[in-house]
Amino acid sequence: MNITISNLHFTYPNGVQALRGISLTIEPGEQVGIVGQNGAGKTTLVRHFNGLLQPTSGMVTIGDWDTRKYSVAKLASRVGYVFQNPDEQLFSRDVKTEVAFGPRNLGYSSEQIQSQVNEALAMTELSDKTETNPYDLSPTWRKMVAIASVIAMDTPIVIFDEPTTGQDAANIARIANVIKTLRERGRTVITITHDIDFCAENFERVIAMSQGRILLDGSANEVLGQEDILATTYVDPPQLTRLGKRLRFKKTVRTEEEFLAALRG
Amino acid sequence: MSLNRSFFVPLDSPLHRLNPLTKLTFVFAMILPAFLSLPAFAPGMAIPVLIAVFVGGVQRQYRGLLFKLILPTILFMFFMQSVFLPIGETVIFQLGRFDVTLEAMQTAFLTVSRIFVMVSSFAILLLTTHPGELMSDLTRRGLPPQFAYVIISTLQILPQMQAKAQTIISAQRSRGLDTESTFLKRVGAVVPLVGPLVFGSLVEVEERAIAIEARGFTSTRPKTSLHNVPDTNADKIIRWIFLALVILSLGGRIWLS
Repeated sequence: MNITISNLHFTYPNGVQALRGISLTIEPGEQVGIVGQNGAGKTTLVRHFNGLLQPTSGMVTIGDWDTRKYSVAKLASRVGYVFQNPDEQLFSRDVKTEVAFGPRNLGYSSEQIQSQVNEALAMTELSDKTETNPYDLSPTWRKMVAIASVIAMDTPIVIFDEPTTGQDAANIARIANVIKTLRERGRTVITITHDIDFCAENFERVIAMSQGRILLDGSANEVLGQEDILATTYVDPPQLTRLGKRLRFKKTVRTEEEFLAALRG
Repeated sequence: MSLNRSFFVPLDSPLHRLNPLTKLTFVFAMILPAFLSLPAFAPGMAIPVLIAVFVGGVQRQYRGLLFKLILPTILFMFFMQSVFLPIGETVIFQLGRFDVTLEAMQTAFLTVSRIFVMVSSFAILLLTTHPGELMSDLTRRGLPPQFAYVIISTLQILPQMQAKAQTIISAQRSRGLDTESTFLKRVGAVVPLVGPLVFGSLVEVEERAIAIEARGFTSTRPKTSLHNVPDTNADKIIRWIFLALVILSLGGRIWLS
């Protein structure tokens, strides 16, 4: 399902101009990382994808739906949004009920809900914790419950807002694994992140934002190689990319494999 | 993502420049006569209160509070008291089997005037004074910090909870929760919203307690303040004038009755 954004402007009621003319197309199945300094407009942008915010001017369409004409609850069937803080959404007595909340809202049949919930729990490695109260889990596992509760809605588009903040290495690997599985299933994944290594390792397309505009948009190697431009939005390229530059590699490298290949070649 | 976490409006007006204690004196100089002096005083106190709104340059924010909070409350109270107060002889009209008397309406008017003055003058204090400044000034003058903490957290908790509730609503709507259509669906939407709000607030209270303790909150040594709140001679003079006015109005009441 396509996401099309044309000349999007957004101003908060207090007068802060958060988006100043964004035009963008995201194709079905793309994996997009969005980076940029705090206040660049990343969250404001993605909150337009499921109608939480409405454009001040311009237009956002999800497939054939103009977001201005559909409620957030309706758009939830197309766009899943994992919020940053799991504690701001978990309320059920056990993990299973929590994860089933989204699909139940979307009106799936009970067998369908059952299978989607089980699948989401398996993907997030929560299958052995279905009866636990989410608040008895550690914060990292609560994060996985929040992710599962959105995955279970089985939406063609999934948005993650800062998924790796405050997570340990094991859980970051789990989240990367979820994103990989979603990619294999042809889902669009859009992730806001300050974790540039996570971004380099998991996303093919990277968008850098600054002051409500798109600064760079292209393949991860293209964008992460532009050290000078990224510096204007306070983003450092990944360490390997910077090391590659210092070693005067001809190509921009971003992963260990690319780095080793360039070193040998 | 609310930027405004308290009622405070950062402006540079004569009222903003006053020392917090002076403004607090103003609040009580409005409230005490309205409640304790002659009944005729109460509606009259609305005039200095409204002038203060303009001096502080917070008309827009005050108007918001007025229409959303103050007016609905006092109109409701006026109605209830006029209809249900069983006093007076002069029946103006009847509402069902209740007599609405002139005396009841007068009493109702007095009550709502007092409430108007009280709520409005506190609103002016909160709109023009940064809560941190108010409290650091009062603790410097000897208010126990525990007491200051209770007040300041009360002032801040509402806007904070509002911001938190907004995020929770957004998160649950993103999970397909219908908070907009029928009344029944709205009622059903309460549990997913209240649960995280209450739990999150409890966690926050604990975290805050640990955080302030880590900064030596209960330490009994004398504390210094990073923030110096100016207290000018003009402030002192204004406070004495307010005090004199309060004494005069109360004295007038005793004198005349």
